Amino acid sequence: MSDVPFRATSRRTLLKSLMAGVGAVAIGGGMGPAFAEDRTLVINTNIGGEGQRKLMAQFIDEFTKETGIKVQQNAMDHEGYKTAIRNFLVANPPDVCLWFSGDRMRAFVNRGLFDDISDLWAKEGWADKVGALTTTVTVDGKQYGVPTGASFWGIWARKDYLEKYAGGKEPQTWDELVAFGDKMVADGISPFAIGTKDLWPTAAWFDYLNLRINGYDFHMQLMAGDASYEDPKLDAVFDKWQELIDKKFFIPNHTSYDWQGAVPFLLQGKAGMYLMGQFLTRNIPAGDLDNYTYLQFPVIDAAVPVAEEFPVDSMHIPSGAKNKDLARQFLTFFYQPERLALWVEPEGNIPTRSDVPALKKDWLLEKGQAILKSAKSASQYYDRDTDPDMAQIGMNGFQQFMADPSSRKQVQARLEQTRQRIFKKD
Amino acid sequence: MADVLRASGGRREELRAPSSAWRRHREWITPTLLLAPGLILFLLIIVIPTLQSFRLSLYDWDGLGPQTWVGLGNYRELISDPQFITSLRNNVIWLVLFMIAPVGGLVLALLVNQRIRGIRLAKSLFFMPLVLAPVTVGVVYTWFYDPTFGMTALIFQAFGATAPAILSDPQLVTFGIVAAALWPQIAFCMVLFLAGLNNLDEDVLGAGRVDGARGFLMFWHVVLPQLRAASFIALTVTVIGALRSFDLIAIMTQGGPYGSSSVLAYQMYEQAIFSYRMGYAAAIATVLFAVMAVFITWYLMRVVRAERSRDR
Repeated sequence: MSDVPFRATSRRTLLKSLMAGVGAVAIGGGMGPAFAEDRTLVINTNIGGEGQRKLMAQFIDEFTKETGIKVQQNAMDHEGYKTAIRNFLVANPPDVCLWFSGDRMRAFVNRGLFDDISDLWAKEGWADKVGALTTTVTVDGKQYGVPTGASFWGIWARKDYLEKYAGGKEPQTWDELVAFGDKMVADGISPFAIGTKDLWPTAAWFDYLNLRINGYDFHMQLMAGDASYEDPKLDAVFDKWQELIDKKFFIPNHTSYDWQGAVPFLLQGKAGMYLMGQFLTRNIPAGDLDNYTYLQFPVIDAAVPVAEEFPVDSMHIPSGAKNKDLARQFLTFFYQPERLALWVEPEGNIPTRSDVPALKKDWLLEKGQAILKSAKSASQYYDRDTDPDMAQIGMNGFQQFMADPSSRKQVQARLEQTRQRIFKKD
Repeated sequence: MADVLRASGGRREELRAPSSAWRRHREWITPTLLLAPGLILFLLIIVIPTLQSFRLSLYDWDGLGPQTWVGLGNYRELISDPQFITSLRNNVIWLVLFMIAPVGGLVLALLVNQRIRGIRLAKSLFFMPLVLAPVTVGVVYTWFYDPTFGMTALIFQAFGATAPAILSDPQLVTFGIVAAALWPQIAFCMVLFLAGLNNLDEDVLGAGRVDGARGFLMFWHVVLPQLRAASFIALTVTVIGALRSFDLIAIMTQGGPYGSSSVLAYQMYEQAIFSYRMGYAAAIATVLFAVMAVFITWYLMRVVRAERSRDR
């Protein structure tokens, strides 16, 4: 009985306080930017590996401790990020975001979505430290981000098979590679593992054959849509590729496997080699790693200067960022040699600054650096160098060609038709 | 307490008198208010985006820059796109083969609806795939089909044969995926029919028995007509499931090899997400919508007709 009025008041006060709360939120929302200390730095990330994910969290903690700036990280899945970024750069830009340098970056720079940070580069003197890789984040002489780490490509090979079928000699020319493979085929072993369900592993073959046969300049013309997919120059590329397919150099039914699904063929000795990035090292059991080595893709035409695949990841500040000063602070904080050393370690990436201390002696990294040192120029990989729509249809075509080489003319015609549609050329 | 009640009661009557406007209109106001949240959500989440998607299908847009008007250009390109024809053909294969699900579900339901010891275990085993996420089903079947390390490979090797690479063969791949999708779909239909079998009218069954119906005759003329509602739902769910098939394709083949297992829903996703062709993807979505609309219209007509006859 006595608690009836009490409850009534309590309900009324509750209601009142709720109303007040709503009001406060509304006012607070409107006045948010006025409180400078309350600003939160927003970072959007697409980190796939566990190691780097932990590191990013660690760096953010350190940054907050050092500067008192709160950081909010929106960690997204690697594939979904590729679509999401087109949305969030326009609709709800973060202060810092991860992305891919080169053509993928240029697409956003041309639309005015990434901020020019040339002054930060000048102030920090990064150009001297980063060296040639500066070009990967440069458009018209201005820098639009920092390169954070680079992957490199080559042929993973089993040492025991090299010993058995090549006399321990690493194949350096095309003929040596084919001879090595022929012996494996004769023994019922597929020379190359590949998983083409993912489509993109096929592009490494196309890129390397084209780079070795027609050279970097023609390859980049093709990527930019300035050369035809029916150009007679490509005949040699498809001829060499078909030679391998016809000789059963690739594992059977490769379209059933994604790139990781094809790794067991290599590990179990059903295949002897795998054309793949350095990151395959994560898929090889640590105890077995001694049985593998990393070869540079062999020379096909000695007259063609060597070019290598070298995809570079990067970090950017969107033009629409709300806290550009904080973002620059974070970029500077992140881009210290000691942090970069930690950052590239888990994926076995090549650091993008020359002054990064080596954490430990790593044979793979040394191989990669040797491969890159011998290269005159570097491409970034098919699906980063050309238009995404072209890349999707192109890699689909490569998969079809690898599964059914008789479709070659048909595939080339479809790619050419696509190129004309996308680049509006004839 | 009593005083308070009386006082407030009196006040309520006072308040009620002038609100005859409410009384006059509440016939339509009440249902409107009750329906409003649902209708508004439906409008915001389904109707408006659908209309926007129609509009988008008339433009060329990469999801970022300006939208360029191309009229029916996207549709014209669709007709001559061999991938579109493949996807459409695969959608038809899915639709036809998925009809196994209601039939298979009914057979299974009749089978496990017996009073036999341990039948509950059998029932739950048949029911199991329904509990698994489609992604899990896809992954399990991918391993099952693996032509080197998978179970099919082991079975074929036991007989000294080479296993077919189901997911690598453009002719077989769609059938392989449909088989995987049928596994949970049949279980789902089985559950629907089991529910229907529980609601059979004992009197009608008894009358049938008196008239000498048994075995197949009993099933065909007495049981099946009573399962009409369950069959209708099973058929509807199966058709819609076949048309919007996407998850298993994404998991098992990503539309490959070279697009031969793609369906409209997957092609739309591929065009929008990987190729950034929003307009073209919207055109595919519109075609898919048109195909579904045929079935949805049929479904709605039946529902409305059923409700009318019940009202009478």
